[in-house]
Amino acid sequence: MKDLEFFRNATLGQYVDSRSRVHALAPLTKYLGLLALAVPALASRTAYAALAVMALGLLVALAAKVRPAFLLRGLKPALPALALIVALQALLSWPGDASAVLLRLGPIDVTLGELANSARIAARLAALMVTLGLFTATASESQIVHGVEDILAPLSRLGIPAHRLALVVGIAFRFIPILAGEAELIVKAQASRGADFGSGTRNPLRRVKAWLPVLVPLMLRALERSEALVEAMEARGYAGGLRSRLATYPVGPREKALRAGLVLFTLVSAILVSMAPAPFGT
Amino acid sequence: MAFIDVRRLYHRYPGSPVHSLSDISFQIEPGEYLAVLGANGSGKSTLVRCLDGLAEIESGTVRLGGLDPMNADELAQLRARTGLVFQSPADQLVASVVEEDCAFGPENLGLPREEIARRVASALEAAGLLAERSRPAWALSAGQQQRLAVAGALALEPELLLLDEATAMIDPPGRTGFLDLIGRLNAEGATVVHVTHSMDEALRARRVLVLHRGRLVFDGAPGDLFERPELEAWSLSRPVSLEAARRGRATFPEFRPAGQAPSDFRDELARLARLARPARQAKAAPLARAAERAPAASVDAPSDDDALILEKVAHEYLGGTELSRRALDGVSLRARKGELVALVGATGSGKSSALQHGNALLAPSSGQVRILGRDPAAKGADLKALRSRAALAVQRPETALFETCVGDDVAFGPRNQGLRGKPLVERVRSAMERVQLPYAEFRDRPVRALSGGEKRRAAMAGVLALDPELLLLDEPCAGLDPAGRESALALQAALKAEGRAVAVSTHSMDDATRADRVYVLERGRVVAEGSPAEVFLGTEPPPGLERPWAAEASVLLWRAGLTAAPAALDAAALADEALAVLGVPSSGGGPRAAGEGAP
Repeated sequence: MKDLEFFRNATLGQYVDSRSRVHALAPLTKYLGLLALAVPALASRTAYAALAVMALGLLVALAAKVRPAFLLRGLKPALPALALIVALQALLSWPGDASAVLLRLGPIDVTLGELANSARIAARLAALMVTLGLFTATASESQIVHGVEDILAPLSRLGIPAHRLALVVGIAFRFIPILAGEAELIVKAQASRGADFGSGTRNPLRRVKAWLPVLVPLMLRALERSEALVEAMEARGYAGGLRSRLATYPVGPREKALRAGLVLFTLVSAILVSMAPAPFGT
Repeated sequence: MAFIDVRRLYHRYPGSPVHSLSDISFQIEPGEYLAVLGANGSGKSTLVRCLDGLAEIESGTVRLGGLDPMNADELAQLRARTGLVFQSPADQLVASVVEEDCAFGPENLGLPREEIARRVASALEAAGLLAERSRPAWALSAGQQQRLAVAGALALEPELLLLDEATAMIDPPGRTGFLDLIGRLNAEGATVVHVTHSMDEALRARRVLVLHRGRLVFDGAPGDLFERPELEAWSLSRPVSLEAARRGRATFPEFRPAGQAPSDFRDELARLARLARPARQAKAAPLARAAERAPAASVDAPSDDDALILEKVAHEYLGGTELSRRALDGVSLRARKGELVALVGATGSGKSSALQHGNALLAPSSGQVRILGRDPAAKGADLKALRSRAALAVQRPETALFETCVGDDVAFGPRNQGLRGKPLVERVRSAMERVQLPYAEFRDRPVRALSGGEKRRAAMAGVLALDPELLLLDEPCAGLDPAGRESALALQAALKAEGRAVAVSTHSMDDATRADRVYVLERGRVVAEGSPAEVFLGTEPPPGLERPWAAEASVLLWRAGLTAAPAALDAAALADEALAVLGVPSSGGGPRAAGEGAP
């Protein structure tokens, strides 16, 4: 029997409060760190490069006292999507793919190039997810919001509402667990009325049908919850205008040096990984 | 001039044919403590929203400290002087860290950082949350979250506190802490407007407004309100303290306790007893502890009568991950057919988790579960069929309504059971009639047009339509007005009388006294169990909880040597007990005199 638990593998977006030196950094520094890993992961032209970025991310996780297994478990929900990508790669051919054919099944052939591409896409996705998981494990919700605020602060002089944008980001993050919690309650309510959850049906049509009674009330609850939040904010005087902030993040000389290092690393690594020749001419 | 001045206020929701508020006028002086009562849907929350500028006024005037909420500039000033606390603790958290959430209001005022820090510290101090300042807000208990909401309001240094059913979703200890905080703030000069369904909370106010179908029908002292004959028509009820005194007074006119505390009841009875027959002194019998008297039921062999057995069940959420949390830690309980079982305990004590094992929504990490004689962990167990025989109504089940029309939604369950045609219609009809939603009238009614109380009943009908042998109800009375609560309790009694097993979780000790057996949970363990008399009339109140009012008074009567043993769990039984002390023969008729309590 399967439990109806929604949070088990959703490590993306979960803060791990381990109070490491990484956690103590200012939000802006953490955003630079996110870029330093995400940019080379995206620019990578080989699976090796992407995997190297992922390995680096896992090393930082160790320093941040976040267990690598925690981040890797976050990949599990993405496996079906990965499988789909690999299948599509195998089904469709790249124009001008001259690499060796490894396997031929009727109209479908799997070439070395396709295999390399699948591996690269999978590795990139994994590297990105580990990076994002690491970021959210070390930056709390409010730091993510404050970071956006700090990044956009120079723009607010041009009339761009930095705080409002930051708030949008913050609320989006806040609603992930809220919606998961609401969905869990609704699934439990419908399962108690004989809907097909956790009873292990594999018929896709039945599965889709079973989700309909969840999606409708979930949308309604999302609207209700956001309305409640708006009222709570308005009642405390939020009007979208100028505000002040309690939290400050003093940045010492060492952290300033780290920031410069991160920017440099982002540029150099992105150039390096994108210059590496892609295998098999794809 | 009055601090709050409302004149001829009308309000209507867009698209609604009727006014949600009609012709409301009242004034409140600075420093008053005012309670607002009324049935679900009577307009209480709308009134609060009109005061804080969250709802648009159709006609009439509202002034708070001379400020008009309909004027944008004045509204900003008004909100800087007003704190509003809503019903749901989790819904009003704006930031993720305690002190940042508390700072949200002053940040909106654009105050300098040092001033914000000072206000946040003093607000958290007042709310007793200073030690939690850097914790994530979601990790607080519901009671703490609600005190955080007050702290967030306090950081505005408000002259007015508006509480919109702010205690509805917190457990009894959390509620006591919350109300004490409000009382202290009122004593320091804050004006308090408290919307509530709790008659006991209304007694804390010096003045009460009652709304009925959008109209102001009563404005006066709580003592006068509870003598009014229209009480029931307004869907209100009398607090146990007043009900017991009133029943006593019916045969003994001098019976007038000085206040509403159980000790006031005892003192008054002792005074009258001295006057009536100075020589009479009942002998105090030693009182058995609940644990010593607990029946050996839980070690009985399983029988056909058992609808649900949990045997040393432990459950760990997210086991093996960073966020694992032990919800149940060796819970054993059972519910027999024809029995009503109540689970009580603080928020997070494991009540919901225990109920969700009762229909195999959760599987135990260790221990045994038997549902209607079956083992849900057995290979090939048909969980879908089992769940519709052992039906669970989750908390706030109305959030899971999804069909457009009420009848279709109620039919969802029986349809999943394979019912079609006439038997299906019959099942839906009888389920809807049971919750007082007449089939012909409500079958095609759009779900979104129902009131909150009607939605709850429709959701309950959806569970009853499964015709389950075991019902698991997670806080079925939460958020209901007294009339709604009374009919929910009557429904539970009727289901039990039909031979079904019913297990409910509740924060109300008064509701728990109606059960056949009570389990007290604390941190995932059963710390006391037995009949309501055994649990509530022992020498010590159940761990972490308070006795129901009548039980507390009954124990005090016994401690004062007035009675031989405490036996009363409700107002009627308590009044009989008191009259017996005064030598008046029992009216013979409290609905239950809790016979088990007397050795």
